[in-house]
Amino acid sequence: MAEKMELNEIEVWDGNYAASQALRQAQVDVVAAYPITPSTPIVESYGAYVANGYVDGEFVMVESEHAAMSGCVGAAAAGGRVATATSSQGFMLMIEVLYQASGMRLPIVLTVVNRAVASPLNVRGDHGDMYAGRDSGWVQIDAFNAQEAYDLTLCAFKIGEDMDVRLPVMVHQDGFVTSHTAQNVKPLQDDVAYNFIGKYQPYEEMLDFTKAVTYGAQTEEDWHYEHKAKQHKALMDSRDVIDRVFAEYKELTGREYNRVEKYFMDDAEVAIVALGSAVETARYAAEELRKEGIKAGVVAPRCFRPFAFDGIREALENVKAVSTLDRSCPMGAMGTLFNEVSAALYTTEKRPLVSNYIYGLGGRDFSVAEAKRIFKEQKAHADAGHLTTPIQQFSGLRGPKLGFFETKRGN
Amino acid sequence: MIEIRWHSRAGQGAVTGAKGLGDVVSRTGKEVQAFALYGSAKRGAAMNAYNRIDDKPIINHETGMEPDYVLVIDPALAFTDNITANDKPTTKYIITTNLTKDELISQIPALQDKKDRVFVVDAIQISLDTIGRSMPNTPMLGALMKVSGMYDLDFFLESMKRVLAKFPQKIIDANMAAMTRAYNEVK
Amino acid sequence: MSRGVLATEKRGMRELGAEEHVGWDEVTQGTLLPSFEKDVDAAHVRPEERPYSDFNSYTATVASWRVIKPVYNRDICIDCQNCWVWCPDTSIVSRDKQMLGIDYDHCKGCGVCVEVCPTNPKSLLMFGESEETEAALAKWPEKKKKAK
Repeated sequence: MAEKMELNEIEVWDGNYAASQALRQAQVDVVAAYPITPSTPIVESYGAYVANGYVDGEFVMVESEHAAMSGCVGAAAAGGRVATATSSQGFMLMIEVLYQASGMRLPIVLTVVNRAVASPLNVRGDHGDMYAGRDSGWVQIDAFNAQEAYDLTLCAFKIGEDMDVRLPVMVHQDGFVTSHTAQNVKPLQDDVAYNFIGKYQPYEEMLDFTKAVTYGAQTEEDWHYEHKAKQHKALMDSRDVIDRVFAEYKELTGREYNRVEKYFMDDAEVAIVALGSAVETARYAAEELRKEGIKAGVVAPRCFRPFAFDGIREALENVKAVSTLDRSCPMGAMGTLFNEVSAALYTTEKRPLVSNYIYGLGGRDFSVAEAKRIFKEQKAHADAGHLTTPIQQFSGLRGPKLGFFETKRGN
Repeated sequence: MIEIRWHSRAGQGAVTGAKGLGDVVSRTGKEVQAFALYGSAKRGAAMNAYNRIDDKPIINHETGMEPDYVLVIDPALAFTDNITANDKPTTKYIITTNLTKDELISQIPALQDKKDRVFVVDAIQISLDTIGRSMPNTPMLGALMKVSGMYDLDFFLESMKRVLAKFPQKIIDANMAAMTRAYNEVK
Repeated sequence: MSRGVLATEKRGMRELGAEEHVGWDEVTQGTLLPSFEKDVDAAHVRPEERPYSDFNSYTATVASWRVIKPVYNRDICIDCQNCWVWCPDTSIVSRDKQMLGIDYDHCKGCGVCVEVCPTNPKSLLMFGESEETEAALAKWPEKKKKAK
């Protein structure tokens, strides 16, 4: 049996350490990893837990991230609870195998510390890697601070391993801003955390020789489509399980999570939609603006996948103007959050004004003052009854103002 | 909200110092944040670490701040870094130096009008004498306790013993001595 | 403060990271960094005579990162080139296999050159950053006798 670790009621942990503690408490059987900044300390800590007897597991060093995820696929198919961590270029190298993992319905947990993707080379945070995973068939949950990185990593095992889901789950956090920022974290004691997730329940595991199965079959036009549709439905249906797991976690800890997080949205006139640590900074700005009489609110998709089309619609249908903030350069299109939020709002009666900001690429700081400015700009749109700026703009960018596309509504 | 900015070189322990301070503060029912800006720079490069301390959860994640305290733990950085960046009329400075306060201020134009808010301590020499190597982070925390009056020395030392618990007793004792000396010697 | 051998006006003229931060319209296409201000047959021009651009690390200094520095003692050196091979920052300056000294604009004071120096006593030793070269040379240790 693994040693127990005595934890204080309040620890000061950064996001990486918080995620690693969740992996330890889940008693992950196999971590196959190829460490990369800024997620390195997650697997480094797991390695130390194994070496010091705090986990009955295997830490497998491999030669690349492609091999890391391949090792995870093998171990998960064999019947183990499996996890790893990565960022940026490592994530990109894993992508081919991410689709294998979800297609084989293996509930691997991947803690992704979001980092910009080269070129230019950059170790700091943006959401380029997270966005590149959005069609890979994984559940993608986003943590905005270290406490959430801990909580949601525990929840990830319970969601992915649910017999009604059996899909891999990514838990995202922002590189450096969350992964390397120490904050107050309230952990669960080992037994409580482990019992919440429960013992791993294998499904058609390869090491059960009485029930031989083949993983990774080839299909062509005769079978492929049905399998993908079934997988898509499973991801869509995982919404109910996610809601249930979040409810159970609230019961246990008092900490509430929702697939769409809403702050000050009951009477909001203008809103920001964002992901990651910027959500909290925007909340802080909204709180301050409310003192000035601006009814600002923040909406954040806690689950990037499955995307809460209905939840986003309900959260935003009564606002007048909303800015969607994308921390990944869409390269020749509008940002993903803009597209997905706009699509949801197009199906509403009032169709709020929607605009798009690209921000924070490569770790560019996102300040309270900038969040306030964006809110105020939405207020100007709302008062004018149409967008007063190009639809897509760039926040915190040096050089002449850059913007794309005008609205055809209201002008 | 109290905001603290550390000026350090990678390897001098500013991140450990900021996290150690955060650890102590968290045990008194307060919320803390400790982070650094260092990226891919190497040991020896100038870097900043930061603390925020508040009574309620800290949700502001921007890296910019108007510090209440500026802690300079490398003597040369007082001359080469912009240590007064984004300061307030109340910002207090604690600077590691082997110079007297007057000597130091006379050489740094940006500090001329802040004389009553500048404090000096030779955290490098103190750490060499007590810990046996240049590790100015813990003595700086001792000096901060004196200047800020955040906690009394005995309480702080007891809390730091728990933060340093993973180290051998000899190193813990040396750090206690370093913090006590800095507490008493900061001017 | 000595900048070491073969220093030029351009070498280490700017603190690393102190470049002017231009906008998106002025940065280079493809993040390419031109090494020189104009075309030059670099293979046949001595390093200190090349027309380095502001993107070249030659024009940047990291001297302020250093807290200790290597001092070179010509009298003991056997020109074995070990330090030149091992220096991670090409800060050992050698010409025609003869050791000339140190480029203090780029040396970060890591001490690798001292570690790999095979002479007795060593021909390179670390001193405090503020130590004058003459004073350092005056303190040089004697040859150590082999322990029997």
